[in-house]
Amino acid sequence: MHNPPGEEPETTLSVTPPKKWAAGLPAVVHALEYSLEQTSPRKTGVDLLAMNQVGGIDCPGCAWADPAPGRRHRNEYCENGAKHINDEATTRRITADFFREHSVADLAARSDMWLNQQGRLTEPMIKRPGSEHYEPIGWNDALGVLAQELTALASPDEAVFYTSGRASNEAAFVLQLFARAFGTNNLPDCSNMCHESSGFALSETLGTGKGTVSLDDLHHADLIFLVGQNPGSNHPRQLSALEEAKRNGGRIVAVNPLPEAGLRRFKNPQKPRGIAGRGTQIADRFLHIKPGGDLALFQGLNRLLLEAEDARPGTVLDHDFINAHTSGFEDFARHARTVEWDDVRAATGLTLEEIEKVRDEVLESERVIVCWAMGITQHKHGVPTVREIVNFLMLRGNLGRAGTGACPVRGHSNVQGDRTMGIWEQMPDSFLDALQQEFGFDPPRRHGLDSVNSIKAMREGRVKVFLALAGNFVRAAPDSEVTEQAMRSCRLTAHISTKLNRSHTVCGETALILPTLGRTERDRQADGEQFVTVENSMSEVHTSQGRLEPASPLLLSEVAILCRLARRTLDGKADIAWDTFEGDYGTIRDHISRVVPGFHDFNARVARPGGIRLPNPVNEGVFNTKAGKALFTCNERVVPRAPEGHLLLQTLRSHDQWNTVPYTNNDRYRGIHGSRHVVLVNPADLTELGLARGDRVDLVSVWADGTERRAANFEVVPYPAAKGSAAAYYPETNVLVPLDSVADISNQPTSKGIVVRLEPSPDRARPTPS
Amino acid sequence: MAHEDDARQAVPNMPGTRTDGVARRRPLREQHVEETVRVAVPVRTAYNQWTQFKTFPRFSAVVRGVEQPRPTVTVWTIGYGPLRHRFAAEIVEQDPDAYLAWRGLEQYPSHQGEVEFRPTESGGTAITVRMLLEPQGGARILAASSRAARLTARLTARLVRGELMHFKRFIEGLGQESGAWRGTIRNGRVQYEHPEPPRSRVARWPVG
Repeated sequence: MHNPPGEEPETTLSVTPPKKWAAGLPAVVHALEYSLEQTSPRKTGVDLLAMNQVGGIDCPGCAWADPAPGRRHRNEYCENGAKHINDEATTRRITADFFREHSVADLAARSDMWLNQQGRLTEPMIKRPGSEHYEPIGWNDALGVLAQELTALASPDEAVFYTSGRASNEAAFVLQLFARAFGTNNLPDCSNMCHESSGFALSETLGTGKGTVSLDDLHHADLIFLVGQNPGSNHPRQLSALEEAKRNGGRIVAVNPLPEAGLRRFKNPQKPRGIAGRGTQIADRFLHIKPGGDLALFQGLNRLLLEAEDARPGTVLDHDFINAHTSGFEDFARHARTVEWDDVRAATGLTLEEIEKVRDEVLESERVIVCWAMGITQHKHGVPTVREIVNFLMLRGNLGRAGTGACPVRGHSNVQGDRTMGIWEQMPDSFLDALQQEFGFDPPRRHGLDSVNSIKAMREGRVKVFLALAGNFVRAAPDSEVTEQAMRSCRLTAHISTKLNRSHTVCGETALILPTLGRTERDRQADGEQFVTVENSMSEVHTSQGRLEPASPLLLSEVAILCRLARRTLDGKADIAWDTFEGDYGTIRDHISRVVPGFHDFNARVARPGGIRLPNPVNEGVFNTKAGKALFTCNERVVPRAPEGHLLLQTLRSHDQWNTVPYTNNDRYRGIHGSRHVVLVNPADLTELGLARGDRVDLVSVWADGTERRAANFEVVPYPAAKGSAAAYYPETNVLVPLDSVADISNQPTSKGIVVRLEPSPDRARPTPS
Repeated sequence: MAHEDDARQAVPNMPGTRTDGVARRRPLREQHVEETVRVAVPVRTAYNQWTQFKTFPRFSAVVRGVEQPRPTVTVWTIGYGPLRHRFAAEIVEQDPDAYLAWRGLEQYPSHQGEVEFRPTESGGTAITVRMLLEPQGGARILAASSRAARLTARLTARLVRGELMHFKRFIEGLGQESGAWRGTIRNGRVQYEHPEPPRSRVARWPVG
């Protein structure tokens, strides 16, 4: 165990060649190294051995599904999951003395990494108006301050209730219930910023907002596309599923602007061949695509499939499926045949021959799955791209059959479950009606604010109170300066958190830190020890129960904080048994079973080993669209272009990072060590731009409002990024993403495909981590 | 007892052809293992019980567990003594009270088969299982010889026959089915039902 850093660590950039494989023994070493830096060997052992086990702790690191009970390894986690869980289980503590020593302004000047490294929050804190410091406050007073601010609002819509994907189903259900009983649908969540485009596109075309595949499907697919995702760093346990698919004869096509290590080869540290051998090749074919070219790629592929059908009628398309289960095929086919190859080449940077080879792979495959992540959804045309992927799958009937389907790979561990529980600003009347029937109050029907619109409302003074259930909203949101200005203009900001982050330091006139239990910790309530439930990316709902003693006796659970706040705020206005909820989470699940479709007998079923697998209507032969059929769509062609002298930037995470929190300044798979202030650029682009390795540049984004958004003092690193593109780390470059730059339809911020220019930096000093 | 003759006594229904006259995906060839058992319950009862795959460990000598993640996919754990093998199978065709065809999802050992349910003149049901197992690894090389192939076929036939007899005793003892799935599957895909099956009533709003 090491003490937290007193000052920002001084490190210098060094660059090594990118790795050609992921995981292996180094993953084990790095995971243990970080874990033991944070906590004791005993705690490390306890939480790692309980992680992702039946009845154990659900890893908060990502939403990837667990193997079936009886099929799990004794060590069922990845390097990043181990780091994340021990980052939470850290023995470091933040006390009142820490806040006396560090003013809010001081903390606001610190890096994300430094703030996180200080340890666990242990007691409620308040920053009073005009004060420069947080100070301790009792729970009753803290919740009283918050309740008073809420009840003093002119309208419930002047409050926003944000949820991050760490929150359990029970906490999410209680939060949305409280917000709606209070009178607002202002329920933005982190989904707004990651897979909102997937949800909209899938709902429209398939009638379900969720992915359709299971782990078994992946294991048995003939061909898997990995599009706009980096499993090696962001969902490493997916690599085990891909390895099994490969061993079962499947093939993989990876489509990405960067040739990530995890797309190339996987050394499974659970197996001797992963430790001592060469591991498993992941991608059989790699398409080095330009950012945002995926829509054109799938449009081109769809045209090729239609032409193959023309050449060999009745052998390429699944006419039975198309005729019986879909609508809009004729219009789609007409539109697809007009795709211009020049556009496809310009948008993708790929040759026709490369795309034809992929078509051949498709034609040889009876079962195809497409996986994607934010490399797709965070583009302006994220929704049309997902729609086009659905078109692609439907052409050969790759939906609703074993080994086929659509697989949006979600990031945060319960991001899908929180939405299922009603955390959405646009919930349908059917859900609100069920809520009304169950609890006897009339929920508001007008739609609320999502993340982008919440920021706008805060900035304009229309929202005065911001409450976050977990997360680091300030750093996750786009247009950092605008978001920070919005947060600072609130009368009160409050965060239910386990650890310190920048959202506590960029705060409203009054600010509250409400420390809570983590996933790893025992949750003892009046009715005894509680467990919570979560839903993974493959619609499996299961329990999670902590094993460690809480970081402080003063911590309250998320459910307890929300129930106490609801009681104080609503003061008997709605007849809801908040006390009972806090004492026994099973009573919350009883209500969920009557309100949320698919959760009947929730308490009994979720207690079974492995929990509940929610059915996906598509796999039951049901398409809940307006037409009652899956929908082919015609999507406009998009050729992302950067003006002369500009590049298309994508923001991305490093390997040593979890969401907005970097654990170190290293990104070992990409060969970046010691600094995050780097911009990765194709060597040919550097030559054209007159830049060279080691040059210091400012990244300046171009947007219609004419505002200059600048990320200052980045070091140029030649890197095999797709020609015409650049990559830099999130959240440092969120400042470049204009708040108004959102995906069509889904309103998701576009953290990919940002037009930037690289200006020589006037500040030649070593970049600071902040 | 299971006799091939029983099949001939049953109402004719050519393998590879559905009652609606549409050709099945891939009729099984002659060299496949084929076993038939006649059970003294109506065809609806026998069929319904057969669709309750999770109950197979109650009567089977080798099936240790079955999961059914969705109507078209079953995951089987079979075993003998301490040995266990897990595999997934896809149901590619299913017609209530008549027919079911499956294929294994693993590349090796690959297997496929079909089960036919036919009413007998006595009011019972003739259940015919046809199956082809393609071994893997060393067993695959051994099976390349005709002697080994015959031995494999004999062992598989014995196993299938035994399992059918266990099912016969099970359903005749129960007298009525413990559940039913009455959907139709074509080409590995569940056909839309009216009204919508309760299982598919889940949250439909977009998930970000």
